[in-house]
Amino acid sequence: MPYHLFKCSESIPEREKHAVIKGEGEDLTSALPLGYLNTIPGSISERGCAYCGAKHVIGTPMKDVIHMSHGPVGCTYDTWQTKRYISDNDNFQLKYTYATDMKEQHIVFGAEKLLKKNILEAFAAFPEMKRMTLYQTCASALIGDDINAIAEEVMEELPDVDIFVCNSPGFGGPSQSGGHHKINIAWINQKVGTVEPEITSDYVINYVGEYNIQGDQEVMQDFFKRMGIQILSTFTGNGSYDDLRGMHRAQLNVLECARSAEYICNELRVRYGIPRLDIDGFGHEAMASSLRKVGMFFGIEDRAEAIIAEESARWKPELDWYKARLTDKKVCLWPGGSKLWHWANVIHEEMGVNVVSVYTKFGHQQDMEKGVSRCEVGALAIDDPNELEGMEAIETLEPDIIFTGKRPGEVAKKVRVPYLNAHAYHNGPYKGWEGWVRFARDIYNGIYSPIHKLSLLDISKDEIRTDVGFETQRLLSDVNLSDEIKNSTTLREYTGKYDCIKDLRDKTYPEYLTKKVSEAV
Amino acid sequence: MYCEVNEKERAGVINPIFTCQPCGAQYASIGIKECIGIVHGGQGCVMFVRLLFSQHFKESFEIASSSVHEDGAIFGALNRVEEAVDVLLMRYPDVKVIPIISTCSTEVIGDDIDGVVIKMNETLLPEKYPGREVHLIPIHTPSFVGSMVSGYDVAVKDFVSYFAKKSEPSEKINLITGWVNPGDVTAIKHLLAEMDVEANVLFEIETFDAPLMPSGNHVAHGETTVEDLVDTANAQGTIALNRYEGGSTAKYLQDEFDIPMIIGPTPIGIRNTDTFLKNLSEMTGKPIPESLVRERGIAIDAITDVAHMFLADKKVAIYGNPDLVIGLAQFCLDMEMKPVLLLLGDDNPNYKDDPRIQEFEKNIDYKMEIITNADLWELENRIKNDGLEVDLILGHSKGRFTAMDMNIPMVRVGFPVYDRAGMYRYPVLGYAGAMWLAETIANTWFVDMEYKKNRETILNVW
Repeated sequence: MPYHLFKCSESIPEREKHAVIKGEGEDLTSALPLGYLNTIPGSISERGCAYCGAKHVIGTPMKDVIHMSHGPVGCTYDTWQTKRYISDNDNFQLKYTYATDMKEQHIVFGAEKLLKKNILEAFAAFPEMKRMTLYQTCASALIGDDINAIAEEVMEELPDVDIFVCNSPGFGGPSQSGGHHKINIAWINQKVGTVEPEITSDYVINYVGEYNIQGDQEVMQDFFKRMGIQILSTFTGNGSYDDLRGMHRAQLNVLECARSAEYICNELRVRYGIPRLDIDGFGHEAMASSLRKVGMFFGIEDRAEAIIAEESARWKPELDWYKARLTDKKVCLWPGGSKLWHWANVIHEEMGVNVVSVYTKFGHQQDMEKGVSRCEVGALAIDDPNELEGMEAIETLEPDIIFTGKRPGEVAKKVRVPYLNAHAYHNGPYKGWEGWVRFARDIYNGIYSPIHKLSLLDISKDEIRTDVGFETQRLLSDVNLSDEIKNSTTLREYTGKYDCIKDLRDKTYPEYLTKKVSEAV
Repeated sequence: MYCEVNEKERAGVINPIFTCQPCGAQYASIGIKECIGIVHGGQGCVMFVRLLFSQHFKESFEIASSSVHEDGAIFGALNRVEEAVDVLLMRYPDVKVIPIISTCSTEVIGDDIDGVVIKMNETLLPEKYPGREVHLIPIHTPSFVGSMVSGYDVAVKDFVSYFAKKSEPSEKINLITGWVNPGDVTAIKHLLAEMDVEANVLFEIETFDAPLMPSGNHVAHGETTVEDLVDTANAQGTIALNRYEGGSTAKYLQDEFDIPMIIGPTPIGIRNTDTFLKNLSEMTGKPIPESLVRERGIAIDAITDVAHMFLADKKVAIYGNPDLVIGLAQFCLDMEMKPVLLLLGDDNPNYKDDPRIQEFEKNIDYKMEIITNADLWELENRIKNDGLEVDLILGHSKGRFTAMDMNIPMVRVGFPVYDRAGMYRYPVLGYAGAMWLAETIANTWFVDMEYKKNRETILNVW
């Protein structure tokens, strides 16, 4: 597995050890890209900061909370309305954001009084909100404001409110990942164990590392509820502040995104003896084995199997319709962190696409280990990629589609490669059986866009057909398909609703009596 | 006296109207050709601003970070600036202009970016890059001062004052647009062309609306060159369309090079565009041509079709960049609407001295409130809890939830707009902008009327 030095990075040779090409028969021990090291200044890396890792990624998906940042207004503004973590309480966490608006005089004389005033004002403006998260920023960290002390003071004065403080300034660590770690630890240190939850089931979990992007959490919650499992809390998408204070009473931590939230799971194991079970909501097989694992843990495999059978029968024919049309398409899997291994092999196996490159902006070496071992031979793996390297990779690999963030997606667009938003999705949710079909559908619509095909033509010199009024995705995708597939009566395109979350919110679930209750009866 | 100017009473910000100064400097930097800025601070200060630009323009812009981590925050991070400049120059052979943009963190720790620029000019550049044209420009934009608006103003002035150099007088005028969209630049350049006036447009950002080309090599970038910036000292005059975004540059050129200046009014609406053309004519001696009389006539005809029948007496709330807000309010008044709430989202102490605001105070005969240092809660709270009635909201996308939740029609204007397609392509400036605004406002009401069924839906059949 040789290291790969990009031409554009020859002048910064330290970059060589951040990229590898997966060779035939090679194993991970021979070479693994370096990861989670300080960024090379001026390289135009795509990394964010530790403040955003804490506040934007993990803190703000919590839904019933005033999210306030102590600093100048920019940190708050910039991390507001840029991500699609919805909630079932009318998106309070997306709609409102709070900045203490630190100015020059506060930098000089301190901003603790300003902070206190802000907290009181915010609770006054939203009297129904009694919970708050407070985030340090670069500025408030450097002037040394004691945010914890102010929070304590307010909690003493207003006994019905509760405040969580996260000290994770932007400069803390090489990327947003530093902030993930800090907020995990801060939450368990400050809040876990401060509320005793009501236990209503024999099977109680925390669902951890799930941010409800376009409704992912609600999709997964549906399966757990159908199994009669009580979700004590979700860390943190669509999650409730007080629920998360009761995490210590779960029997199992079901962990989705290990990159951002394994820390709290590991601490819950050490401090409360709660085991950690890593699952994966992306992909049909992954879903099946995830529910099976959870079912086995609780001895309710039958409930899991019933869901697996029902969902597979409903959605597999639709996934296979897309697989037939996506097979051998080349994909650059360029997400932020853990999706590189959540998706790497499952998109190959279930959609037939070949992963020609993986990258991670804020992942660690262990993410790369998993990602590299799961992607195709010959794939290029890049740690902390930068603008020019991304362009060079696109030129050499010629992918059919790229899964990446919104802004890098605009770069891909200009070199005429379609992109799908890997962080916030195009038309998600992407978790669950149906979600995975939606993902396949979005890939298909990206690759077989008639407009994309037109974008490859140069009107000034290419031959232009003048006898065609339109094309469709189907006309483009089915050109080389066998009649058997084309005319299949079992395979079908996606048939779900435009909004597949709404109905879940009104759904009723079977009642499973707890052992205690059924014994009493 | 019915118009009141008040400062927001709360200390904090709930739903900010603006982001902080470094964003404004970054916006100015992408307007210059062969320029990549280095933001000296944490990585989020760049990553999120690039995201914001890409949300608004659906393009990606190149801006670098010095990537300050813990060690830099504690021991000083000027070495990160030196490394960043070197890495940029090595890997981007076309780059000539590198602004070093400070942030709150690097201002608080007191990193001397002016000093490090001197040092690099004496060592790194002559030793490693002899013969290469490189301009390193320190720009101080601490996030705890002003807002993205003042950051833009500071950066434009820093760029111009760095480059401007007197040589042969030029026929051109300097035209400083302020924080506008590509569609506005197109509209202004059209007016200049009709007037037969040659202008040095700062910044030439029409190209932010970049094509997807068959060659596949297109990158969106501004086109103002170093030569253009140098030449600003030789212009026969400067017009800054916006007072708060470029006004200080016009004043600098006047003080330093005796270049006559006109600041504003922002040419939003018929009247302000008239003033702009009259000013242009006076400055250059060029007459206003018949073609513009006609263009003005088409716009007035279009506005007449909707103004007193549909727009009259409607109450409007407006927020965003101050020149935009003030210009829109003036135009709304000309269209017989009633701006009832103007929100200016930073603590600039000069708003109360703005003659346009003083004119509101003097001549408005109904209750109008102008809030300075405002946030978007000033809007929502008034509507939700204080009973303010508003028929229309004019503002950028960050305030969209107020409109959505309160069922108030909204027309997206300003920056950023990320929940409507292609808005950067449409001007609010000039006669074209006036016409687009009037018709878009009317059409927005028509759709609203149809959905709410709260009016005779035959009203818009006329």
